[in-house]
Amino acid sequence: MKRILIGLLAGVALHAQGPVPRPAPELKIVEASGKATMLSSLRGRVVLLAFISTQCPHCQRASVVFEALKREFSGKLQVAEVAFDEGADTAAFTRRFGLTFPVGSISREAMDAFLGLEHGQRLGTPQVVAIDRRGQIRAQSERLGSPILQTHDYLRVLISALTELR
Amino acid sequence: MIDHTLVLSPTAALVFHLKQAFFMYAWPMMIGFLTILGYQVLGRIGMAGSVKWPVVFVLGSVVSMISLLGWAMMVRSLSMIPFYGCGVGVASAMMSRVYAVTMPIHPRLKVRIPRVTWRGDKKGIEQLQQALKARAAAARPGAAGV
Repeated sequence: MKRILIGLLAGVALHAQGPVPRPAPELKIVEASGKATMLSSLRGRVVLLAFISTQCPHCQRASVVFEALKREFSGKLQVAEVAFDEGADTAAFTRRFGLTFPVGSISREAMDAFLGLEHGQRLGTPQVVAIDRRGQIRAQSERLGSPILQTHDYLRVLISALTELR
Repeated sequence: MIDHTLVLSPTAALVFHLKQAFFMYAWPMMIGFLTILGYQVLGRIGMAGSVKWPVVFVLGSVVSMISLLGWAMMVRSLSMIPFYGCGVGVASAMMSRVYAVTMPIHPRLKVRIPRVTWRGDKKGIEQLQQALKARAAAARPGAAGV
């Protein structure tokens, strides 16, 4: 019995991540051009924020989906991505996929802190976060990734709901 | 993790989960099943020697493409492997009950259509054996028409 309890507790600890809803911590998104955007400055609009690895095919596909959503929800949705892979060429990534939203870089430690993860845990990418107009995180990928938060149809429903919130 | 206080239409989530279930579970099973079914049919038809070589060539090409598609898909997710294996197992078990697959010419359509003779079909097996004996006799040197 004791072993089972320890096992369960260990399992919970392994899956630990920030709860939703919770206030989005501050984040500075620095693009390759040097332009910096503070996450708090986007308050008032729904924000779709993704933590990506520029080499990850899922992240590349998701970026194209996010770009389409940005156009669809023009003016109501702000999309931003931050790459956490070392030496990420975010300018080349932006050009390659024709992205019109800011793509910055971040350290793994800063990303873990934002997502409420313990440092160094295995991670599924992209890690997608949806933030409402008041700066509350209302959806976040599971630690090992949530494919549903990379699909156009589901994100459209989620963003529609978030834009209708007061 | 999605905030459960949000009012979201369940349709999008349902469609996503249905699609995922199909591609993660049913699709690899179908590919595994078709691979074995295809190779078994190809082997039996090819060995029978009664079908023209272009038919065997096309069948062989299609079957190998299905097989390769299966392998390429396995790379995408390890969780598909048991389902692919399950499809292979079902097809193997099914084909173990098949006595022969022949390609007779359909009397009305005038095209070759695969016909399965099951192990339990004693009459069919007997007819098949008689047809084979007749063909062997016709092919023997000195036989009429050779």
